[in-house]
Amino acid sequence: MRLVSKWLRIVGLGCLLMGAPSGYAADGSPENGEEIYLKRCVGCHGVDGDGLGPGAERLLPPPRDFTSGMFKIMSTAFDGYIPQDQDIFKMIKLGMPGTAMPGWQDILSEQEMWDLVAYIKVFPGYDEEEPGAAVEYVEQVPSSEDSIAKGKELFLEDDRCSECHGEDGKGNAIKRLLGDNGERTWPRNLTKPWTFRHSNNPKDIFTRISVGIPGTQMPSFADPASKKVLTPEERWHVANYVQSLAKTSEAVNPENTVIKAARVDQAIPDDPYDEIWTDALPSTFFMVPQIIAENRHFTPSNDTITVRSIYTPTEIGILLEWDDRTFSQPGDEDSEKIGDSPLYEDKVAVQLPVTIPTGMEKPYFVMGDRDNAVNLWRWRGGTTSEPEAVSQISATGVGTGVELDAEGLMGRGVYKSGTWRVLFKRSLITESEDELQFREGVFIPIAFFAWDGSNGESGTKHILSTWYWLVLESSSSSVPFLGSLLALILVLGLEFLWVRSSSLQEENH
Amino acid sequence: MQKIPKLLQVVLIVVGVYFGFVLLFDFILGQVIPSSLLNMYMFFIVAGVLAVYTATEDGTRELVAPIKSLVEDPSKKKTRNIVFAVTPVAVALFVYLQLVPSLEAPLELRSIHPAPPSTVKIYGKRFDLRTLVNPYRKLEEEDPEEFRAMVEAGASIYIQNCHFCHGDKLDGQGPYAAGLNPVPLNFQDVGTIAQLQESFLFWRIATGGPGLPDEAAPWISSMPVWQEFLTEEEIWQVILYLYDYTGRRPRSWEE
Ligand code: HEC
Ligand code: HEC
Repeated sequence: MRLVSKWLRIVGLGCLLMGAPSGYAADGSPENGEEIYLKRCVGCHGVDGDGLGPGAERLLPPPRDFTSGMFKIMSTAFDGYIPQDQDIFKMIKLGMPGTAMPGWQDILSEQEMWDLVAYIKVFPGYDEEEPGAAVEYVEQVPSSEDSIAKGKELFLEDDRCSECHGEDGKGNAIKRLLGDNGERTWPRNLTKPWTFRHSNNPKDIFTRISVGIPGTQMPSFADPASKKVLTPEERWHVANYVQSLAKTSEAVNPENTVIKAARVDQAIPDDPYDEIWTDALPSTFFMVPQIIAENRHFTPSNDTITVRSIYTPTEIGILLEWDDRTFSQPGDEDSEKIGDSPLYEDKVAVQLPVTIPTGMEKPYFVMGDRDNAVNLWRWRGGTTSEPEAVSQISATGVGTGVELDAEGLMGRGVYKSGTWRVLFKRSLITESEDELQFREGVFIPIAFFAWDGSNGESGTKHILSTWYWLVLESSSSSVPFLGSLLALILVLGLEFLWVRSSSLQEENH
Repeated sequence: MQKIPKLLQVVLIVVGVYFGFVLLFDFILGQVIPSSLLNMYMFFIVAGVLAVYTATEDGTRELVAPIKSLVEDPSKKKTRNIVFAVTPVAVALFVYLQLVPSLEAPLELRSIHPAPPSTVKIYGKRFDLRTLVNPYRKLEEEDPEEFRAMVEAGASIYIQNCHFCHGDKLDGQGPYAAGLNPVPLNFQDVGTIAQLQESFLFWRIATGGPGLPDEAAPWISSMPVWQEFLTEEEIWQVILYLYDYTGRRPRSWEE
């Protein structure tokens, strides 16, 4: 809930700000701004405002070079280049989710932030120029089923937005997109509003569609020179549609740390898209890049994974689902064109302890430790010459993995419209001492690893989660009923004895 | 207190404490208290209260008097029948609810600032944490210019390595913080680095999560082992930066 509410707060603040009487950088003092800047911003944006601070190297997107005069999130109409003061102010205040740029409102005062706006404008010389006219909103079209349907049509028409954002808006690129400075840019996954640099409030989306995102290939759709230009009304429909794409059932709920596997009677089918999964409860977790062990990975392309599980009296199925903008199959021409080279296979893994811990102690969450081994079930998508495959790896620390026999383990993946679904299946009980034996009703630690082969991810360069829990929901058992019956009889018996002994005592008197 | 029968006193105290906990956690702190933790607290409280009330023989007698009279006093037969009918049902219900499998995640208690060992091996050398000081701290007075350079070097190390989790505002809310459990430490908070000596930080940074003692659950801490990435000098510099940016002072040995 924490994240969602934080996100709502950002949206809410965004709305408030738009309605509030606007402040101006004229109110800010560049001298004060410089002082704050030198303490808090130089690590990324650099002393000279050129975006070359010591932190820059490991950030994607890279910190803004203020001397270039380019600002991404602005409300100045497409033919202008200079942002409104409010635009810069809002980015400082609220930050840019999905990047390293934090919001500063909790430690800086309004005045200090205006001072910063005044100072930042000095780098490109915008302190001496007027910004162009702002975007005109004409009349906001409220969201409705009808408007969303129209928006969808316009989104897909001539591949207007789907060209980059994919048919379902997951950002599954069909092109290799670069920013103005040659850095890799990924089209936004529109189903993940928590990664929007500003917000997914329709008004903000309207602004982005109208202005585009300067410095990236996200174009303006208000520019009459564009073949795909949209009228203001049409832009409102598209904005309403984009807002409606937000994932709800598969967003992270930080309070949910338990994957509950329900028991089913029929055998688990091999198809990851089989109907049996529609009833399985999804749990979604954050994934972070591996920056703990040697050979770190600083530029991930994905941030969540959704997990479902069911089991039968003999086997368990674990279904992993995650958005991946790129289908990465070495040898495949399209994959090679979009992906970074060298191109690797997409991979995913489930990590389990070899024995279910009885106390607090678990294996170290990155590949286990000397005293506590882990099992990894790893699936890889295959190349044009090799089919998909699973392996089972046993590890007692990073870099110690040894392959075990993967005979009893099944893994099958399907890539569809920007999303991977991979199904693992194994029998609950095996003969091997090096493999986890599943039991009903106990909490089993479980963690996840994933590799996007088009993003240079291979070996220790991957994303991972911390430990969560998997529990096989017990089938209806008679223990609670018998136990309570026993308690009832016991207490009644005690009462009886007590009354009898006290009346005996009385008789004795 | 004289007028209230002892038994009722015990019941009132236990019930009062129970709702006190619920009120404190759920409403004031806004964080639902895990039931296993609450049960544990309540077990100790019930045991403690009973121990106090049954410390003397008179006390014990007074405490159980109402129960005894319930059974022995014929005029209370009706009440007795009711109590004796309700109790077994209530117990059975309680047992039933306890036995029905719970799907609440197991509670993981861990100590956040565990006691440091007295000596520790880092970079293949033995350090005595009881006497270890930041070798550059003295520059603050002796050579302020050199000291600034050290802090700035620390700032670069921080932004290249630490901000991903601890945040560029040092508030524990870096871009990847939400994916970690336990969450990264917030250095702005008065309860963290201001309470600690620099030698403690040196130990925690150099040996990371895996260097924690068992009571601090090293297996889930995502803190890297920085002696694998940074030099001894760099660790002392980044420590200077943590205090400089937050405006806090390290705890000194005299305190
Ligand atoms: C940890 C690194 C980091 C720090 C510290 C940081 N920024 Fe940024 N900032 C970024 C990154 C990265 C971007 C670019 C995001 C993008 O391109 O999507 C950015 C972008 C910006 C933008 C451009 C917004 C736009 O619409 O293009 C402004 C303005 C800005 N930062 C101001 C500041 C100020 C003022 C401070 C200090 C109070 C600061 N930043 C501190 C990383 C940082
Ligand atoms: C040529 C490719 C391309 C096309 C066509 C395109 N986009 Fe984008 N879009 C991008 C890229 C790239 C980004 C991410 C830019 C960045 O790095 O911040 C983006 C970002 C966005 C965002 C994110 C805004 C935020 O606050 O983060 C939205 C919303 C969006 N696009 C909507 C649309 C809509 C609606 C259309 C069609 C009307 C569209 N885009 C067409 C490439 C494209």
